[in-house]
Order: sequence, then C-alpha cells, then structure tokens
Amino acid sequence: MVQYNFKKITVVPSGKDFIDIILSRTQRQTPTVVHKGYAISRLRKFYMRKVKFTQQNFHEKLTAIIDEFPRLDDIHPFYGDLLHVLYNKDHYKLALGQINTARNIIGKIAKDYVKLLKYGDSLYRCKCLKVAALGRMCTVIKRIGPSLAYLEQIRQHMARLPSIDPNTRTILICGYPNVGKSSFINKITRADVDVQPYAFTTKSLFVGHTDYKYLRYQVIDTPGILDRPFEDRNIIEMCSITALAHIRAAVLFFLDISGSCGYSIAQQAALFHSIKALFMNKPLIIVCNKIDLQPLEGLSDDDIKLVMEMKAEASQTVIAQGDEPNDESVFLTMSALTDDGVIAVKNAACERLLNQRVEMKMKSKKINDCLNRFHVAIPKPRDTRERPPCIPQAVLEARAKANVEKEKRKLEKDLENENGGAGVYSANLRKHYILANDEWKEDIMPEILDGHNVYDFVDPDILQRLEELEGEEEGFQLEAEAEEKYFEIDGKELTPEELEALAEIRKKKSLLIQEHRMKKSTAESRPVLPRKFDKDRKFTSERMGRQLSALGLDPTAATNRARCRSVSRRGQKRERSLAREGEDGDAMDIDGEQSSKKLRTRSRSRSKSRSKSQPPGEVTPGEGFRNSSQKLKALKIAKKSVKIRNKTARRGEADRVIPNLKPKHLFSGKRSIGKTSRR
Amino acid sequence: MPQGDYIELHRKRHGYRLDHFERKRKKEAREVHKRSAYAQKALGIKGKMFAKKRYAEKALMKKTLAMHDESSTRRKVDDKVHDGALPAYLLDRDTTTRAKVLSNTIKQKRKEKAGKWDVPLPKVRPVAEDEMFKVIRSGKRKTKQWKRMVTKVTFVGPGFTRKPPKYERFIRPTGLRFTKAHVTHPELKCTFNLDIIGIKKNPNGPMYTSLGVVTKGTIIEVNVSELGLVTPAGKVVWGKYAQVTNNPENDGCINAVLLV
Repeated sequence: MVQYNFKKITVVPSGKDFIDIILSRTQRQTPTVVHKGYAISRLRKFYMRKVKFTQQNFHEKLTAIIDEFPRLDDIHPFYGDLLHVLYNKDHYKLALGQINTARNIIGKIAKDYVKLLKYGDSLYRCKCLKVAALGRMCTVIKRIGPSLAYLEQIRQHMARLPSIDPNTRTILICGYPNVGKSSFINKITRADVDVQPYAFTTKSLFVGHTDYKYLRYQVIDTPGILDRPFEDRNIIEMCSITALAHIRAAVLFFLDISGSCGYSIAQQAALFHSIKALFMNKPLIIVCNKIDLQPLEGLSDDDIKLVMEMKAEASQTVIAQGDEPNDESVFLTMSALTDDGVIAVKNAACERLLNQRVEMKMKSKKINDCLNRFHVAIPKPRDTRERPPCIPQAVLEARAKANVEKEKRKLEKDLENENGGAGVYSANLRKHYILANDEWKEDIMPEILDGHNVYDFVDPDILQRLEELEGEEEGFQLEAEAEEKYFEIDGKELTPEELEALAEIRKKKSLLIQEHRMKKSTAESRPVLPRKFDKDRKFTSERMGRQLSALGLDPTAATNRARCRSVSRRGQKRERSLAREGEDGDAMDIDGEQSSKKLRTRSRSRSKSRSKSQPPGEVTPGEGFRNSSQKLKALKIAKKSVKIRNKTARRGEADRVIPNLKPKHLFSGKRSIGKTSRR
Repeated sequence: MPQGDYIELHRKRHGYRLDHFERKRKKEAREVHKRSAYAQKALGIKGKMFAKKRYAEKALMKKTLAMHDESSTRRKVDDKVHDGALPAYLLDRDTTTRAKVLSNTIKQKRKEKAGKWDVPLPKVRPVAEDEMFKVIRSGKRKTKQWKRMVTKVTFVGPGFTRKPPKYERFIRPTGLRFTKAHVTHPELKCTFNLDIIGIKKNPNGPMYTSLGVVTKGTIIEVNVSELGLVTPAGKVVWGKYAQVTNNPENDGCINAVLLV
C-alpha cells in the first residue's frame, strides 16, 4: 500500500529567486562570447539558443512543480478531503492552474521570439530581441509570484502531516474534547501527544502504532468534536470528521462519565447520535473513561439510560456484521490515569477490527487466489480408536504443581507495585540470605577490623585450608618430577647412540614446531594449497628418497612407485615392455616398440628442454586463472605492455613515480580573490 | 501543535538552549559585516546585481530617515497665490496675454494647414532605404536585383493578398507581420492590447505608409471599442490614432501611445 509521503516535493522557489536561478543558469551554461563580426547565421544561432535554453529551463521547473504536487482527485479520498479541509481545494487548484498557464505562455513567447530572431540582421537587433524575450518570460514569473509563495507554504505544511496509511488496520479515537483520548493513545503507543487540562489541546490528527497478535495497528487520535451542525464546524473538527468518514477503522467513542471534561453525559450522548451515521460498517466500541473519578455504578438513572442507549446502538453494528453481540466487546470501562482496563480496550478494539477485516477478505474475490494454496492435511482415521496426545504422568503432576506454585508465590513485582511503584520501592536484597542466626540479616558488615581485611577471615578454617592447598601443590610437583625421572630411570640407561638419536628427534621436533608456528603466523596472507599443487617443488621424490635414507630405510621401491604415479605420466599408457612378452603377434611387437620408443624420446626431449622453472601455461589453483589458455593470454598481454617501455629504456615499475602532479584535492578550493583561506 | 513540529515541541518541553538568545543576537550582529564583505568581494554579474539591490535598499533607507526627520522640523508656510490673481507690477499687462492667445490660435491654424500635429514624438530618426529594405537576388543567374524584402515590422490588413510572387517587388515576410499593438492611454496610464486598423502615416515617406511599414514614430489607427469611449454626441468611438514609441523590429512588439 502506498504510504503517502508528501516530503518528497521539491522546494518551490519564490518568484524573484526563480528568475535569478534560471537567468544565472542561462548565463553560465550557454556560450557567452559573441562579436559583431561573426556570420549572421552564427549570431542568430547564438541568441536563439539562449532564448530556447531559458524557455526549456522554465518549462522543466514548472513541470516539476505541477507534477510533484498531488492531484486531489487522484489520491485517496481521505487525503483529498484532508487537504481540502486544510488548504482550500479551489485555491490549490487555481494556484496550480496558474503555474500551468504560465508555463504555456512562456512556451509561446519563446516560439514567437525565435521566429523573429530569424529576421535579425545585426547583432544589436538580435540582442534586443533576446533581451525582450527573456524579459517577458521573467515578467510572467513575477506575476505568478503569489501563487508560488502559496504553494511553498502548502508544501511545508504538507510535509509535516502525519503519515497515515488509509488502507491498513486503524483504530480511530473520537469523542468530546478533554475526555482522555490523547492520554489513551499515550498509554498504548509511543506517540507523545500533549495532554493538557484545556479543551482543544489536540489540534490535528496524531498517529501512533501498537501491536496486537504480531500485527501492527495504526492508532489515530483526533481533535475533539463538539455537537454542532455540520456547516458550523471549524477546520480542526473537520479534520476528525474527515478521518471518520474515509478511513475504515475500528472506532472507539470515548465517554467521560465523571463530567470533568466540562460536558455532561447528555451532551456527549447527543454528539454520539448526531455522528452515528459515520460509524456505519465500522466496529464501534463505547469506552467510558475516568472511572477512577466516578465509577459506572454511581451514575444517575438518566445517565445510565443514555449510556445503555449508546451501547444498544453499538451492539446493533455488531449484529449487522453477523457476530453475536458480546457485551465485553462493545462497551468497556477504563481509566487512563490508573491504567485500569486500558489493555482490555485495546485488545477488544484490535480483535474486532481483525475479525472484520478477515471476514471482508474472505468475502472478497481476491481470497480465492490464496485459498487454493492453503490446505490443512488431516490424516484419514483408519479406525475408530481415539488417539489423544500422550503426556507422561510425571509431567502432568509437575505442571500442576508449577501452576499452584505460580499462583501461590508472590512476585517481587507485585510487592513493588503494592508499595508505591518503581521509583518509590527498592527491593530488600538481603531477605534471602542464609545465615546461622536470622537476626543477623540486616546487620552492617564491616570491611576492616583490627587492621585486617575481614574478607580474609570469612572462612574460620581458612588458614588450615591454605596449608592443605599448599601441601597438595607440593605433592603434585614431586609427583611430576618423579614421573620424569621414572621415565628415564626405568629399564636401562640410554646408549650414546640412542641419546644422539633422542637429541636428533628432539631437535627435529622443535624445528617442525618452529616452522609450523611461522606458517601459522603468515597463514592469513598466504593461500593454503594442498601438497599436490606445489609451486616450489619442495615435495619431490628425491627429497622423499633422501629423507627415507636418512632414517635408514631403502627408498628405491617407494620412489619408483611415486614416479609411476606422477602427474607427468598421467594419461600415458602403461609401458608395453611387459605386454611384449605376451603371445600376441608381431604387429603388437612393432607397436609396442614404437610406443616405448616414443615414450623414451618424448621423455628425453622433454627433460632437455624442461628447465627447473615451471612450464609457462601451467595453472596453479591459487592464482585465479580459469585455464591455461587464459593464463597464456594474460602473460602475453603483460609482456606486450612493457615491451616498448623496456625497449626505450623508460621509467619502469620499479622506478619512483608521482602519479598525479596536481591532485585535485590540493589544488581546488582556493579562490583567486581570496575568499577561501585554505586549500 | 501538530505531530510533525518537532522543533516547537522540543522548545515547549525543554525550553531554549542556555545561550540561545545571546548567540542569536550575536549572529544577527555579524550579518552586517558578512554582507559588507560579500559586497566587496563579489565580482561580475553577481556583484553588479548585489550592488544594485544594496543601492535600492540604501535609497529607501535614506527616504525613510528623511521622512522621520521631516516631522521634527518646522517649516515656513507659503502664501498661496490664487489662480488669476496677478501681482501688483503685472496688473496692466492684459493686452499681452490676449495677444499671446491670439498668436496661439494663429499658430494652430498654420499647423493645420501644414499638416503638423501635436504628437508625443515630433521628430524621429530617419530610416535609410538600405536599412529598410534587403535586396533579394532573383533570376536564373541571380543577377536581377529588383526585389526588395522589408526588414522592419509591417502591418497588412485582413483582406490582404499578395501579388503573384513573380511580380511582387516588395516582400513583406509573414514573420514580421503584426496585428496588435500595446497602446498606453497617457492620462489613465494603463496599457491595452488593441487591434490595429490601419497605418495612417509613416514619417519616413508615403511609400512606407502605403507599404504598411511600422517604425518608430508611425501614426497608426487602433480599435478602441474596448475602452468604451463615447463622443459628446453620444456615438461610440471605436477607432483612434496612436503613435508608435519603440522600434518594433528590436522588441518584437508594437508599443504606442494613444493620441487623445
């Protein structure tokens, strides 16, 4: 739903400012130099351009104004009426109409003068025509100056209107002045409406939002309405009438049964009956406020009769909707001062509104699109046995006990409320202390006694415990040492070779640990690649062979196996040397020979040309290339870009360079006439 | 106060800042110096416009100050001289005045004979023929130069049909044809947009009158039925003479003064 936002209307400049803006724009954005020696066509073009440019700018700005101001007939009737009440619709339309006419007149002026400029035969004549054209356009704008000022005022006021969405769930609060409408809205929403003892404190519509059942409701507070004939109503009352008339909302009619607003119940009832036509098709709730001053039972008989009449009217609307009349949802009492019944009123209003809206949605055609998508699946009963949910007995008992406890227990919050509220009562945190003698609960605890900290002696056995702790610690230490020694002393002493080996192992371990730590510290800046993508060629089969022989094992079998399965061999067929010894014919022999020869030559030539560096197109996954052809292309482009520079021995990448000798941020901002004293 | 007026609401609830009024006063006092600094530094068209505005303000200020001063000073009251009352040394001069009257009537009669009227612009700058006409070359080799195009504003009547293009010597372009004039009534001081009925006389020559060229000083006849003038006899005046006061080809409009 469109949230009407009148804040987006651009500022309407005053007549004089408008002219200044456009003329200075013309002066800045069109060429300014012309001499009388130029060709006549050039002179004509120069001046025609100025006239046309000015006209276009005027047209643009005036069109923007006309388009951005809302058309009272095109927006929601609530807003249309509200704007009519606040700013007269006729004046508004007239002002916009004047702007429109001005726009057309300026267009005509420009057209005429451009036609005349075609006959200009000297610079002076063209210049005079241009001056006349611009002057006439500016006179037109000067004449609509008052309209522009009026529109600017309207725009400023419109931008401050509360953003009311006429289509969402809304609760409308109405009644006589001073009955407590604003206090109510202050209680249920965060709207900070002024509450004062004089009537007509609220002079315009106020909006607040509240939640109920996970839905957001808009609450609109209206200025008070007096019981007058329709024609005599002033603008403020008309605002509330407009809201009542156009917004489909739940209406809360507030009654002040104590009469402290200055109006009797009879007057309020009279008002109710005079505007009850506006309550048609809206869930209506009669709310009696200020029951702390005057309880409902204490009213006189006449008043009670009037109130019951109103209730009957309200019930009728419920019947009209089709629900059964529930007393509690039509007539409620509350007190905004003591918070008594406020939530009940809000819930009742929200509930009724929700039900009505759901019903309307069900009746409308749109629901059919959605209903098809809902389906509550109920499993078909396969026999007549009842299968209720199974709750273990223990849980049921616990639940019952908890309920009882909850009811029995008096909460701190209740205590607080009883004793004066949040600011007055401070809870006694000491009453739950567990002490040997209950009388000590309220005693003041000293912190320093005889020069010692009390806390050090809180525990009577504390010294003993400290000694025990220390003893334990020593015991642990001794044990640890014993274990170490135990480890070494057990069995025989280590031979010197073994000691050497041990020292080796320890050194190697510490090296590994150091390396690992270094890797860890630079892990953020290095990509982590698995071992098989190894750029530095660290993990070769020779290295493995060396390490294995260093450990005293024979590496040949392992290195052979590694070579057989290496990457460079992938895709190559298995050597035919073995197959040749089979019983297939000569043909296979030749093939086999060839193939092995091929293999050999290939590997040999490869080994000659292949240096220690990587093949040019091979892609390692951390680099960011899709495939090797992309990488080759990138390398080619890179080489090409530095070829000329290298050939001509120009400044290279490693040479110091200032990329921007005159950076804009250092050279802009200084005005030559000394206006700005900083760069 | 409306829900959207946050500033006023805050002011109402919390009042002003402790130094608000002092700051406001000081800021307003500084405005004077700022304006003067801007006036000295602004250059170009902005400077000129600002200077003009400032001068207008200064003149207005001076006037108001003078007005305030007036009331406090005392002035001598002049002895009003009644119309018709002559000072003593002129009491015997009746004959001369009568003679003046006589010579005035004689002068008027002479003017009528000569055809000179009392008009707002008695003398105008003569317009040369090469300024008035542009030579249009025609013919197969563009050697013939007998055609002329009028470069000034013209008026052609409603029933005007031009001569066949081959034979027309004077071309009056449609773009320069005007039918309406802005006529000012010299006594009422208001301007009306009236239709032109015809050209009475162009001071540059009878040829231009017949062509219908409208230049500065031309006498034109305008349709004044809008003004609702009535002759003493009771007949409605619907046509009157007016004299053109501007150069219409430079301004794109004909401005004239009604000859009452």
